[in-house]
Parts: sequence; structure tokens; C-alpha cells
Amino acid sequence: MSNSVFSVISRFVEEYRSSTPNKLKVIDAYLLYILLTGVFQFLYCVLVGTFPFNSFLSGFISCVGSFILAVCLRIQINPQNKRDFLTVSPERAFADFLFAHTVLHLVVVNFVG
Amino acid sequence: MFLVVLCVVFIQCQVNIYSAFYSFIPVSNDTRDLLLATVSEDSTASQIHQSVSALSALGLPLASQEVVSALKALHVLIIILALLTASRLSQQAELGDILEEIEDLAARLDDLGGVYLQFEEGLEATALFVSAAYSLSDHVDMEPPLKEDQVIQLVNSIFSKKSWDSLSEAFSVASAAASLSNNHFHVPVIVSAQGPAAVSHSHPFLRLQVTDVLCQPLSSASVLAESASAVSSKSAVLSQALFTLRDGVFELNFMASQPASGYYQFSVAIAGDSRFVANHVELKVKVSTRVAINNMDLSVVDKDQSIGPKTTRVEYPTKAKASFMADGHQNFAMTFQLVDETTGVELTPHQTFVRLHNQKTGQEVVFVAEPDSKNLYKFELDTAERKTEFDSISGTYALYLMVGDATLENPILWNVADVVLKFLDEEAPGTIQAKTLYVPKPEIPHLFREPEKKPPTAVSNTFTALVLSPFLLLLILWFKLGANISNFTLSPSTILFHIGHAATLGLMYVYWTHLNMFQTLKYLAIIGSLTFLAGNRMLAQKAVKRYTHQ
Repeated sequence: MSNSVFSVISRFVEEYRSSTPNKLKVIDAYLLYILLTGVFQFLYCVLVGTFPFNSFLSGFISCVGSFILAVCLRIQINPQNKRDFLTVSPERAFADFLFAHTVLHLVVVNFVG
Repeated sequence: MFLVVLCVVFIQCQVNIYSAFYSFIPVSNDTRDLLLATVSEDSTASQIHQSVSALSALGLPLASQEVVSALKALHVLIIILALLTASRLSQQAELGDILEEIEDLAARLDDLGGVYLQFEEGLEATALFVSAAYSLSDHVDMEPPLKEDQVIQLVNSIFSKKSWDSLSEAFSVASAAASLSNNHFHVPVIVSAQGPAAVSHSHPFLRLQVTDVLCQPLSSASVLAESASAVSSKSAVLSQALFTLRDGVFELNFMASQPASGYYQFSVAIAGDSRFVANHVELKVKVSTRVAINNMDLSVVDKDQSIGPKTTRVEYPTKAKASFMADGHQNFAMTFQLVDETTGVELTPHQTFVRLHNQKTGQEVVFVAEPDSKNLYKFELDTAERKTEFDSISGTYALYLMVGDATLENPILWNVADVVLKFLDEEAPGTIQAKTLYVPKPEIPHLFREPEKKPPTAVSNTFTALVLSPFLLLLILWFKLGANISNFTLSPSTILFHIGHAATLGLMYVYWTHLNMFQTLKYLAIIGSLTFLAGNRMLAQKAVKRYTHQ
């Protein structure tokens, strides 16, 4: 059983390494970074306490929001999905990404206190 | 008054003539005030008309609502005057239409809370209406269409004031009073008790004055007490008892039916004339009595009941010769009975208090004596139980008995005996502080909200470093992936876009530290629009480059 899981994982990793374009890998690295940041914040809250709760929320929501926006960007940029996004060019996706981030950060900074 | 009329007429004629020739007429302030003052409820209809026409022709402002109410008041008064005039005409004349006006006017009366009935024009109009209606009805010998409760309510409103604003108002009230006492159809009857409505053994007669509205005694009336029942027990004491007339006052010997002391509800009917209105009244009568104290026994009872009580009997109003001692082992007890002096019936008055007064310190403590099921009053004083009321101060206390009630003619304050109280532990202060209620109270200091406990700085710093560490990881990964900025074109829009983007991030930091949302939005609008334009340009160029490469 574990053998097949291991083989599936190794195959998936191999497939990922070879067939994903570099641009997407860059975004994937960014996603990993955001994920880790969110996890560490959550860990702090679990271990030490939620004293400035609004700050914790703001930070966590920033991580979650950024992750979602980056995922959207990745989906829209991926050339394999071109048929689904005929009206959205990669540049347009990137511009949307930036605009959404501005709004997100406005809210996050407002809430962090 | 006549001069005012002349002035107003003159002004109006002038205005009409001038307005035909000129378009602008100068008006002095005095003229305008004179015209406005004429529009009041005292003016005649023609005066009101002339001043209103003058004001509107001159283009001056009018108080239209005031004019309307002045006109409405005129309307009621005109009809009342018509009624009064008709009552002096010959009886052969056709007065039917004018008679109907009484009913129409009666419909315009305002009912206030079911107690008062009057015109909104005021007391004078109501009173004049009453006298006019009755004089016309008498003249044509037809009953006026006013029901009994309407007549009662009219009487309430007309005679509610004790002083009047003007001579004409006083005249109208007097005229109404005369017509209400002296017409062929309705005569309201006023019943009042002479003095307080109370009887007792010394004053056994209940005296009633039965008069008309002008306070003339109605000697032809026969006054009957239909029923009298006790308020507390609702048992009937009297039924169909006739009052006898003596010296213009109707009286009834109520004590002859031997009522117990208390309050009684009387229902009285006045008959004798078919014109009488409001001839059923309800009256509350008090029967008072004198109280006597019987069998006042004072005793000192031992707590463990080993020694039998020593009882001393005291007669009112003397004081017991020996003083009584009560300390921790003994209780002081008092029993007595309260009875009606004449009938010997046991009474339970509202107030039966036992007051202990320390003559040296001026302290006084009051207790209530309660009756048991057999109406025997008992009072017991246990020094150990009651030491807080006395502040544990031993000494000689004078004992008073206080008996009082609304139906008692002789309230009692009786110094029965002296009691020496000994308290076990002298906790009392040296001097007695009077219980002051009105001194400043101790100050309550404000407790500010405690700041929450924060974790130690070391922990916070560690976690800050931990949270920032993935950024390093990101940079390493990007380096490994070969992410670069080799496609960076140095066109103005690119540079502007990157500067704008950096400025936005800087603005976010400044927002966190210094600014509020409104300022931030203002700056963001400026920076954002620049960045957007530059970014748009840059991305368009990139898109073009991508298409040409494909």
C-alpha cells in the first residue's frame, strides 16, 4: 500500500519537475512561501495565545487572501487553460492580481491595528 | 372702538381707490398693526371682513388660521343670539327651525374625558348656549334635546371656574345658573355633606345639603338613603331610610343603626320633582369611635421558664410605679386589648406602636405590636435579639404605647412604664453618633482597565523571526529556479510603474503608522491612478512583444 502511495508521489514530483513551465514554478514557490507564513502565524496563536486577536486575524487573512490571488493568477497564466480564459491575457491577469492585492492590503493594514 | 371701526373703514376705502390708480401704496407700521389687531374674536363680522380685505389688497401677510377661528366663534355666538331673540317673540310665530338649531349646536359640544362638555370657543359660549336653550324651550314649552348626562357634564364645565376673565363671562355663568335653577324641564341637583361626612357617638346625625345650582335649598325634595354598606365587608347596614328636613338641611341618625367604626358607602336618591337631574349620588361616610385599652399586663418572663412571670396590671392613663428590668436572661412582655369604648367590640387600628425612649441619650426605637387570632395585642422584647436596634446601650428606657387610626377620635400616646435594659456586651461607642444620612460618602476611586498580560519579548521575537523566515526560503527557491529580471526594459512607463508600486507599498506602511483611512484613500487615489496608467502602458508593451515573438 505505502509502496503505491510512494510511487504515485515520486511520479507526480517527476511529472511536475519536467512538464511545468518555469513561470508557474516561480508562482508555486511564492505560494509555498505564503503558506508557510500563514502556518507559522497560526502556530504562534496556538502556542502563545490570541492576545492581539485583530492582529492575528489580519495577518492570517492576508496570507489566505494572497494565496488565493496567487492561485487565481497561476490558473489564468497557465497556457494549458488558455481556452477557458479567452478574454483574459496574462498581462490582464497580472494587473488584476496587483489591483486585488492593493485592496487586500488596504483592508489588512486597516485591521492590524 | 368706534374710532377703530372708522379707521379700518377709511383705510379700506383708501386702499381700494388707490389700488385702482397706483401699483404701490406705502403702509406705515402703525396702520398694519391696527389692521392685524382688528382680526380677533371680539370684532364683528363686518370689521373682520374690512380688515382682511385691506390687508390682502395691501399685500400684507395675514394670519389665515386666526381669521378662520374668529369666524367660527362668530358663528356659534350668532346662533346663540338668535335663540335668545326667538325666546322673546310671540308664540304664534314659526319657531320650529330655530328650535332645531339647539340640537345642531348641542352636537358641536366637545366631550372632555366624559366629565366636561363645552364648546371649543370657551366658557362664555357654553354658558350662553345653556341659558339661551332653556329660555327658548320654556318659551315654546318643548323639552330641549339634552340628555341627563349631557346636562351634568355641562354643569361641570360651566361651574368649574371660581374666577372669571371678564364681566361678560361672569354674566354668562350667572345667566346659565339662573336658567338651570328655574326652567320647566331640567333642574340639576347638588348634594353635599355639611362639614365632613362623618358620624360618631357625639355627632350621630349625617347632614346633607340638597340645593339647586344657585345653592337655593330644595325644600320640596324628599331624600332617601337607598342603601348603605360597609366598604370593607360589603354587608348592608341600612336600606330605604328617609332623611328628615330640619332648618334647610336633611339629616339622618346613622348611629341609631349601630354601625361598627369604619367607612360606609351610601347611595342617596332625591325625589320630589320630575325635573330633577343628577338625583342619584354615591357618598362615602366615615363612622368614628373612641378606643379604650383594656387589660394592659406587663410582665418579665424568664427565658428558661423556670420562674413564673410576674404580671403587673396598669390602668390607662396612669404609669406603672415600679420599673421593669430585662437583661439577657429575661424577656419583657406586654399584652393588652383594644376595644370600642361604647360597644366593647374589639378593634384593630392601623397604628399600634411601642416606643422605647432613652432619656439620657435621646435614642428611640419603635416596634409594632401585633394582634393574635383572638385580637389580643402582644409585644415581647428580647434584649439579646434586639441589641442591634439599641446599639447595645444599656439604661432606662421610657416605654410609650401609641394607638392611632383614621376612624379613632381619641388617638393615644401613653407612657406605660420605665424599662431598664441591660445588654451583655458594651459594644457601644462612648458618644452616640447620630445616624447622618447627608454627609459626603466615601470616594470611589476609578479603576482603569488593566492592560492584558503580554507574552515575554523573547517569545515574540522568536516567532517574528520564524514568520519572516519563509521569505528567505522564497528567495532561495527563486534563485534556484532561475527567476530573473533580464527582461527588464528601461522605458519610462516601466520605471514609473515600479516607482508607483513601491510608493503604494510605502503608503501602506505609513498608513499603518500614521494615517487614517481617508487620508490613505486620498493618497492612494493619486498614486494608484499614476501606477495604473504606467502599468497599463507597460503591460501593453509586454503583450505586444509577446505577440510579435509568437
